[in-house]
Amino acid sequence: MATAFERLTVGQEIHGAAFAVTRETIREFCDASLDYNPLHLDDAYMQRSFGKTQFGGIIMHGMTNFGLITRMLTDWLYPLGALHRRLETRWRAPVRPGDTITPRARIVQKRSTEKSDWVVLEVEVRNQRGETVATGEALAEFPRRA
Amino acid sequence: MSFETDFWKDEARRKTWDDIVPGEPRKTIPYVLTLEAIQRYCRAVGETNPLYFDEAYAKRTPWKGIIAPPSIHILLMFACTPADDWMRSPGTINAGQSWSYNIPARPGDTITLQARALDKFIRKDRLFVIHDNVFFNQHGEVICSGRGWTIRPR
Repeated sequence: MATAFERLTVGQEIHGAAFAVTRETIREFCDASLDYNPLHLDDAYMQRSFGKTQFGGIIMHGMTNFGLITRMLTDWLYPLGALHRRLETRWRAPVRPGDTITPRARIVQKRSTEKSDWVVLEVEVRNQRGETVATGEALAEFPRRA
Repeated sequence: MSFETDFWKDEARRKTWDDIVPGEPRKTIPYVLTLEAIQRYCRAVGETNPLYFDEAYAKRTPWKGIIAPPSIHILLMFACTPADDWMRSPGTINAGQSWSYNIPARPGDTITLQARALDKFIRKDRLFVIHDNVFFNQHGEVICSGRGWTIRPR
């Protein structure tokens, strides 16, 4: 019987759950992460200019994207007996209260090494307008069973 | 110990971009990770996996008990960072991060962080600092290691 790793195909997509961002979810993330940067709390502070960028109001923590991508990957990997080994992300656009963001991933490479089997995935998060707010790359391990 | 949630309070004591020395270790604080803190983090990102909530279920998995999700370093980063550290400067913008995962953190673990600024540079008129971090459990085992790109406030 083919293993979980053998059944995977390059190009295969993984879809995560949509997440509705509100002022309350941002506040909950402050309490959960202990990141109380005024970027996420203080609308008055956010009226100022950040170099060339003007946010105009509070923004979601970029790391919320990271948490949502992780959730998508582990919900997919754990039932397959596989492990989340790496995630690299960059933020492309700010996310604001009222936005709904959805992560997804696509297998771009399968690679076997001396001791294990690996899958490289491209990941991204888009908002309700289809704009990409985060991009990145993940690595999953499919340990070989004795 | 209570966590200072007013990030302005210690601002005058924090290093600015000019002061930060790449390679110099950051002072960090050990942190006891509780089940409550794990689950508060999980709820904030919509995690519902029983591996993080249901001990009876988790005991039947290869992990033999509840674990924290890999991304728990999001909490650990601030939990292990003193109030006067530059990572807490208001207006610090996170431009991206990369993390590698070894073993999961578990409820009750005493987490320590070895961290430093690794690099600083100016790009497109922005002041960047790269931070470099490794989290360990109380047995000296690596939980995860990662890097972040921050844009410093002016």
